[in-house]
Amino acid sequence: MDVQERIRATVTGNPVVLYMKGTPQFPQCGFSATAVQILKACGVSKFASVNVLEDMEVRDGIKQYANWPTIPQLYINGEFVGGCDIMREMYQSGELQKSLEGVTSAS
Amino acid sequence: MVRPEDIQAYIAQGLACEQLQVAGDGHHFEALIVSGAFAGKSRVQRHQMVYAALGDRMREEIHALSMKTLTPEEFAAQS
Repeated sequence: MDVQERIRATVTGNPVVLYMKGTPQFPQCGFSATAVQILKACGVSKFASVNVLEDMEVRDGIKQYANWPTIPQLYINGEFVGGCDIMREMYQSGELQKSLEGVTSAS
Repeated sequence: MVRPEDIQAYIAQGLACEQLQVAGDGHHFEALIVSGAFAGKSRVQRHQMVYAALGDRMREEIHALSMKTLTPEEFAAQS
């Protein structure tokens, strides 16, 4: 499986996936830490996370996958939602909570 | 080191903006971008338009860029 297929398998095989630097317990970048906090604030306690620092192929590949040059990246039900700025804006407007409703309880 | 005014110039070259403010310390930058070209576009599409204007610099020179992308109408409603 090439890296694009691997990413597709990950984001479609999990309801919520966060590509980040570090882990939810130990984020290694302020933006990744913020993304984790926003998910938790939305009541999402369980989500799949991928530490791009541990996989150079994914670190590069994920930027092509969504045509998005930065990390973190959030995917819900296989769809790219956005990075840290967009997550924050959607959280503040309540859209993110809505997108996550029902999604996480299924996991 | 990249300066905020460099980023401002890069964005302005690739995207017609009505308002463009960039601040930052050489590593982390924040930008307010107001453009009529954002009308009818999703947040993701708007950010992608800015990333496209920055091109390879986004991969090579700019570590972190936070942005707010608004249409002139949205900007007027906010301020």
